[in-house]
Amino acid sequence: MFEASQQLLFVLGSMVFIASVMLHLAKKNHLAVTLYVVQSLAIGGLLLLSLLFDFSYLLLLAVVCTIIVKGVVAPYFFLKLIKQNKLQFATSTYLNTPLTLVIVALIVVFIRTIFWNALQTFDGVNPDLLLLSLATILVSGFVLINRKGALSQILGVLSIENSIVSFALFAGLEQSPALQFGITFDILVWVIVSSIFVTLIYKQFGTLDVTSMKKLTE
Amino acid sequence: MLLLVLIILPLLAAVASLFVKKQRGYFEVFAVVASSIEFVAGLFIASKVVANGSYSFEPYFTVDALSAIVMLTTVVIGLAAAVYSVGYLRAEEEKQIINFSQIKQYYFLFNIFIAVMYLAVATVNPIFTWIMVEATTLSTAFLIRFYNKASAIEAAWKFLILNSIGLLLGFFGSMLFFTSVTGEGIHKFVSWQVLLDNAVHLDPLVAKIAFIFVIVGYGTKAGFVPMHTWKPDAYGKAPFPIAALFSGPLLNVAMLTIMRYKTIVDVAIGHAFAQNLLIFFGIISIVVAASIVLVQKNFKRLFAYSSIEHVGIMALGFGFSGVGSVFALMHMIYHSLTKTILFFSAGNLMLKFGSAKIENIKGAIKLLPVTSVALLIGFLGITGVPPFGIFITEFNILSAGIGNFWYIVVLALIAFVLVFIGFFNRIVGAVFGQAPETLVKGENNLFTVLPILVLIIMLAVGSFYLPQSIWSLIHSAAAVIN
Repeated sequence: MFEASQQLLFVLGSMVFIASVMLHLAKKNHLAVTLYVVQSLAIGGLLLLSLLFDFSYLLLLAVVCTIIVKGVVAPYFFLKLIKQNKLQFATSTYLNTPLTLVIVALIVVFIRTIFWNALQTFDGVNPDLLLLSLATILVSGFVLINRKGALSQILGVLSIENSIVSFALFAGLEQSPALQFGITFDILVWVIVSSIFVTLIYKQFGTLDVTSMKKLTE
Repeated sequence: MLLLVLIILPLLAAVASLFVKKQRGYFEVFAVVASSIEFVAGLFIASKVVANGSYSFEPYFTVDALSAIVMLTTVVIGLAAAVYSVGYLRAEEEKQIINFSQIKQYYFLFNIFIAVMYLAVATVNPIFTWIMVEATTLSTAFLIRFYNKASAIEAAWKFLILNSIGLLLGFFGSMLFFTSVTGEGIHKFVSWQVLLDNAVHLDPLVAKIAFIFVIVGYGTKAGFVPMHTWKPDAYGKAPFPIAALFSGPLLNVAMLTIMRYKTIVDVAIGHAFAQNLLIFFGIISIVVAASIVLVQKNFKRLFAYSSIEHVGIMALGFGFSGVGSVFALMHMIYHSLTKTILFFSAGNLMLKFGSAKIENIKGAIKLLPVTSVALLIGFLGITGVPPFGIFITEFNILSAGIGNFWYIVVLALIAFVLVFIGFFNRIVGAVFGQAPETLVKGENNLFTVLPILVLIIMLAVGSFYLPQSIWSLIHSAAAVIN
């Protein structure tokens, strides 16, 4: 896997990372969903690349299912939500844009400082690619913390999942086809469940801003 | 074969529930019959594990002594919850709190929840375990918003997001453990045993990072402080039988997964790292939970913080290792039994008084004598008063740590006293005092009392006498961990 075209791997890994950074900047929900689609397609590309080294039709089916769930089904649910509930604009962030970008930069520095030595020990794996996916995990996690919208939080969780998959692929830790089906099915159910909850939240609170949910503290 | 019965039966019960059109009784029969057969199957599997060391359905499922203990607590609490649910939901339907479609949804999700816990316990693959633990989140999110209130939706959302993030971190940690087996070839089905066999190849630094992610990830599910924040809200909004399942079997499943990784990390880098982490999370969970117990105003939230305290005690036991691990496993069993008694008793109080708020419940002993006695027994049991089993386990866990970690033991003892005071004030206030004259004396129905009585008998007998087979399981399981 890792010995494949380094440039292509870097392009796809960078797409995953940039999409997670852009999730912080997206002001409209449509754009946020589009970014998730781009990120998912990049993951799909990485999964297809992994097939070159260990091909089986079952694995191909697992990869196709993953691409369909992440690149088609999940965005379909989210776009439907946006249309149904007229969620044109994503709700605001806790930090402003410049400060957000500073934090993102600090995350990248942190990753390089803390994990560099550990990742040198992975045989035959490019540590830069692993660092990129680790940074993506934390940047996606920061989406969850920084954004107030429930839909943004869903995209943050899914972005973390995408970045863990990219890490696994870069590290040569691909799972068996059966498990890939299981993980994909899990994501599908998660998307459906979270979408239903977003609808419920909107109906109950009239907004997707999670800071407006204060019933538990009353 | 028995493992398949255990796994497939609740799934069948769930699917069958979907086809019921009008008769509520069918849901009840499906759930209770399935749980009863699972209970018997669970006992048979455990006996096979005692006799042979493990029981497998090759190559995907196996139950060893460690998972047998968790499986046993799941079949017992699962059956008790199925029976209690019958009475509890009937009473709520009579009071027009819930309708038929909610009951249908409840039983479907209840059975799915039970099934995925069995799958998580029995699978040999760590990633499949992760998928199933995540599935417990997805199956129970709708049970937390069961009553359709704004606060329930908020609690369910919090539960969904926090657990999903936690489990993703756990997933990442699991992936790091797989770095020891990259030589096995990609796209291979890797079992716990393969990970353990290859643990010596795991880079020490990677092993440490991986275990931190695992303990934070699955610790979120278990309820370690500071990842516990979903727990009081989720317990507070879920129906009482579901809260009992959260507090017993689900907590045990999460701890089982952490222990599986602990055995791997112990081989990779020695015992100290995992032990220190467990002691750290254990003591902060105990101390924080104990301080919050003192100000709780709601039974469910009180028990939720008590569960956080007890998961901390288990972590301490496993952290102290040796005898500590043996009694941490026993603590798992006693805690599941005692906490279920408490949740079911509080459920009965809620049905009678129409509130789970402690200030609204007075003089329960006059209205619900059996439930009130059960609540008192549960209170004494959970706070570690002798001669209950939790006293024995807490005493031995702390004894295991007194030599090397005396300051931790002192902190834990202070916390135990605080928890006792917190419980005492609330339970005594609810049980005694002047009962409202408007309420009629008498238990809600047989199904809400029977499982409590059976669990009390099990707890009482188990506190004085554990069968040799259970001892054998516990010692074998402790040998796996140590």
